[in-house]
Order: sequence, then structure tokens, then C-alpha cells
Amino acid sequence: MTRKSHRVLPGFGLSLGYSLVYLSLLVLIPLGALIARSAQLSLADFWAIATTERAFAAYKITFGCALIAAIVNGVFGLIVAWVLVRYDFPGKRLVDAFVDLPFALPTAVAGITLTTLYASTGWVGQFLEGVLGFKVAFTPAGIVVALIFIGIPFVVRTVQPVIEDIEQEVEEAAASLGATRGQTFFRVLLPALFPALLTGFTLAFSRAVGEYGSVIFIAGNMPMVSEITPLLIISKLEQYDLPGATVLAVVMLVISFVLLLAINLLQWWTANRHSGRHIENGVQA
Amino acid sequence: MSIAVKNISKRFGNFTALDNISLEIPTGELVALLGPSGCGKTTLLRIIAGMESADQGSVHFHGEEATHVHTRERQVGFVFQHYALFRHMSVFENVAFGLRVKPRATRPSESEIRERVMKLLKLVQLDWLAERYPSQLSGGQRQRIALARALAVEPKVLLLDEPFGALDTQVRKELRRWLRRLHDEMHIASVFVTHDQEEALEVADRVVVMNKGRIEQMGTPDQVYSAPASPFVYRFLGNVNVFHSRVHGQWADVDRAAHVEKDEALAFVRPHDIEIQRESSDGALSAGVLHVQAIGPLVRVEVEHQGEVFEVELTRERHNQLALVAGETVWLRPRNLRVFQGEQMVSSQTFDLGAGI
Repeated sequence: MTRKSHRVLPGFGLSLGYSLVYLSLLVLIPLGALIARSAQLSLADFWAIATTERAFAAYKITFGCALIAAIVNGVFGLIVAWVLVRYDFPGKRLVDAFVDLPFALPTAVAGITLTTLYASTGWVGQFLEGVLGFKVAFTPAGIVVALIFIGIPFVVRTVQPVIEDIEQEVEEAAASLGATRGQTFFRVLLPALFPALLTGFTLAFSRAVGEYGSVIFIAGNMPMVSEITPLLIISKLEQYDLPGATVLAVVMLVISFVLLLAINLLQWWTANRHSGRHIENGVQA
Repeated sequence: MSIAVKNISKRFGNFTALDNISLEIPTGELVALLGPSGCGKTTLLRIIAGMESADQGSVHFHGEEATHVHTRERQVGFVFQHYALFRHMSVFENVAFGLRVKPRATRPSESEIRERVMKLLKLVQLDWLAERYPSQLSGGQRQRIALARALAVEPKVLLLDEPFGALDTQVRKELRRWLRRLHDEMHIASVFVTHDQEEALEVADRVVVMNKGRIEQMGTPDQVYSAPASPFVYRFLGNVNVFHSRVHGQWADVDRAAHVEKDEALAFVRPHDIEIQRESSDGALSAGVLHVQAIGPLVRVEVEHQGEVFEVELTRERHNQLALVAGETVWLRPRNLRVFQGEQMVSSQTFDLGAGI
């Protein structure tokens, strides 16, 4: 049974074909080659390389730090976006422009700058270490700081337009119904922002998982303590251990893909819940 | 619960939104704030709700000062023009919101909430939509849900900001009647803002006509329509013909002694208060018929006198008797006219024309 649907804009077939070819060339084929390369190893070898103690520690550092950084960015990115949309203050446009800087700044520059600041002799590091006894540079905490830096624009820029869309009337309605500020935020505003916040979180998280440039300067790169997986891959490459590098790359790819898929499903579920599409379908069925 | 507003003034920069407004609304009364956009009616409503603060003056609920009480403690139900429903909540949860956010001590149990919400949804005749989301409802349905949500917390005062402004004519008419019934059942003071004079006259017990931050006139719908206190009210409420004393001496000719020379006297006559006659009589103006058009139950006749065009409305019966044709000359007589000089009314006259309409 064929059904030809008519669309307003022509060229659906052409644009779909173009998209598939484009995505294949740029994304699927390189990733496929990566997996094919690792397939040259036997399963036992693959497993042995993928599960060394050092590799495990690196996975933990990579995904753990990325997760913490993304959560921190989720909270503070939301606050920054809120302030930028809802309040007027002198220099607002300037602050708005600052948010994008981590996008543009070479990551190595960010890494070196953060290291200088957070090292035990730096402006911030001096205080943190001297007064609070908390070492940031050359520890996993330093990695988190770098990842927060590169991730914040993702959250701010995805949440900002959604906050702009929320009518102030909704807050007034909640207040007239007796809700406190806290109740208004957690019951009315946050649920409305949640899908966008999740998108921002995902972007910041993915970016943090793949980050290399800024982290290697501040991390200290001690195996088992503050070594991220991308660095481990590079060091394997430098030793001409191509199979070892591809194995780690494939593992990262699989974990990332599973996590992103899970987040996307969560997103799809919340988006559906909000528009109530599932009910409509149910009624029509 | 009665509402009293005393000497309220509010400015936005150089713009005076409200200029020394005082108003009292007893319990059980449905009051319409009527005026063109920018007249301050919405600002006044928002000040009553506590969403805006006045520069001067005070707001009292049932004799108690409430000027600085926060919106959430005022116990007002507020309905917005664009509904302001919570998009991510089902209809049921929207209505239940006000009950769920109550402090634990006064919050009803889950089963009580369920019962009360369903009762309200039945009241607005939308109980079958409880599980839907706002995006799946029509405008009229959304506004009824917004009203049910406002009523859920048993407000002492119901405030509606252009509640039917975003809806089409048919739905508006239905909702108006329905709001009136609902108000009568609740026995609370209600205030609604509108720029639609028909809506205000049809629904309200009392109409407050506002213009440029001031109250032009307060009164029953009949009072403001048939005895407007100012030229503005005359023009804003329904159609009106204006006759200038300089040109149409016979009608606007008022006591010469009272004349202030620079202000010309103007006579205001509603289109349905003009009688068309075939014969000349005392005080009648001659006019040429320009155009005859039947609109629903009425026949609108455009006539011309001394270069100015006036509108006359006749019933169909009267028009059948007269059988007017464009181009003929007729005589006009007023049934009811009011003469103003500037903002001041100088005379009001009613003439018995015998069997007319």
C-alpha cells in the first residue's frame, strides 16, 4: 500500500537524500571506520584492553567530571539565563556577550589561564589552598572547573529563549492562587523550563566528555587519579598503539551513545507529557 | 466581600495611568470597568489584585486596609485575557493548583481536592476534559478552565481582565451569559475590565466608564447609556449624532445667557432617537436622504443637513410606513437630546412625538 502525501514545500526527497549523504560522509563513515578498525582485534583482546585498571579510572574521571560539571552548569546556567532575561542592569549586553566567550576561546588558552589562576600560586588557588586547604589545579576538581567553563554557554543559550517565552502572567496567576515564590518556581516555572534545561545539560555534558584541550593543562594527568580518557587515547597513539587507541575510542563512543540516547528518550517523554500528545493519540485511536 | 478603592493615582514615567480614582464595589455586585485602551482600567484592576502598586491612595477589602498586602494573601481570583494556564499541567492539575499550594495545615486531603476540582469542572461544564492539556482546548474552553482555577481557592473577590477579549463573537456571547449566572451563584464582588461597550452593558450591574485615567461616569447600564454624563461617554457608548449650535441652531439653541462664547454648544442625539417625518413641523430640520440600508432588525438611513451627514435608525415597520428613497427631502425631529458645552451638560430634553417607533 503506497500513500503519497502532499507537502507544502517541494524537495522532500532531495533534502532527505542530501542529509543522509552528508551525515554519512561526516559522521557515520568515520565512526564506522573506527569500529571496523577495532574489529580487527579478537574479542578477548578487545576486552582486555578496554578493562584495564587505568582505562577504568580514566572512564570514571571522564564521565564523572563531565556529569558533575554539567549538573553545576545546569543550576548556574539557569540562574545566569534567568538574570539575563528578567532583570535590567547596566552592562547587561556586555555580560550577555561574555557568556559566548567559552565557545570562541581556544580551549588551550582557557586551560592555561584556569591553571594559572587555580594553581597554588594563582589568585584563586592561593586562597583556596591557603585558607580552605582545598587543592584545585592538578586534581579532578581542576578538571571539573575546566569543564564548567567550556560548558556554561550551552545551558544559558538553550534556556534563555524559553525563559523569554514564559509570560509573566503565569507567575502572577500562581501568586493570585496563593503560591509562594518557591512554589511558583518549582511547580510552575521549572517544569516549563525542564525540557530546555535538559537539552542544555545534554549539550554541556557531551561537550565535556569530549573535551581535551583545556583539561590537559589543569588536570595534572596522573594515571589513575586525574587522567581523562581522551588523553589516554592520545598517549596510546603517541606510542603507535593504534588498536589500543581505537578500543578506548569505541568504548567512549558506546557509553556516550547510550547516555545520549537515554537523555533523548527522557526528553521525548517530557516533551510529550507537556503537549499531552499521548492523550490525543489515545483519544483518536 | 466589598472592595473600596480610595484616591488611587499611578504614573508610569510621564504617563498618568490613574488620576485620583475612588470606587466602591459592594458584595454581590458585578462591575464593569469600561474604556478605550490606555485609559487605565487594567492598571486599576491590577492594583486591586496587588500585582501593581499605586503611587498614592489605598485599597480596602471589606473595610480592612489591604494596600500593602501581597497578591497571594489577598484571596482574589484573577482571570487573564490570555488565560495564563499552566501549560505543563493537565486541566485537572491546573484547577487543583490553588488547593495544592496551600500550607499543609489548611490543605485539603487528596480526595477532597479531587472532589472539589471535579465539582468546579462540572460547574464550567468541562469535567470531560479533566485529563487534557491546555494546548488541546479551544479558547473558550481555556478561559472557562482559567475561571474554574480562580474559583477553586474560593476567592472573596473575582477580577477579570478582558476575559473574553481573545474569543470570537459567538463564544463571547455564550460566556457572558454564563459569567453572569456564575457570579449570581457565588455571591462575591466581581470586577471585569472590557473595552466592549455591548459586553459591559449586557453583563454588569454597574458600569464604570473610564477615560485617560479618570472615571467619566458610574451608573447602571441604563443610566450610562441613556443619560451619558459627558460627550466622551456619549461617543464611547454606542453611536451618536452631534449637532453644532452654530449650524443647527434650532436643536442646540440653549439659553443664550449661559453661553460661554469660545465653547460651542453641541447637541448629542442617538440615531434611534431621531424621528423622520414627511411634513415640516416646529423645531424640525430639513434633510436629504442619502442612503437607506437594512441591517438586521433595523433600517439605517443616512441623511444630510447643511453639508453634514447624520445617521438615523428606524424600525422595519416605521421604514415600511415611510418607504424612504434616496434623494428625497424629509424632516428630522429629536426624541431625546442632550446639549453639552465643553464637558458641561447645559440641557437635557425629551420630546413626546406621539406614536413613532
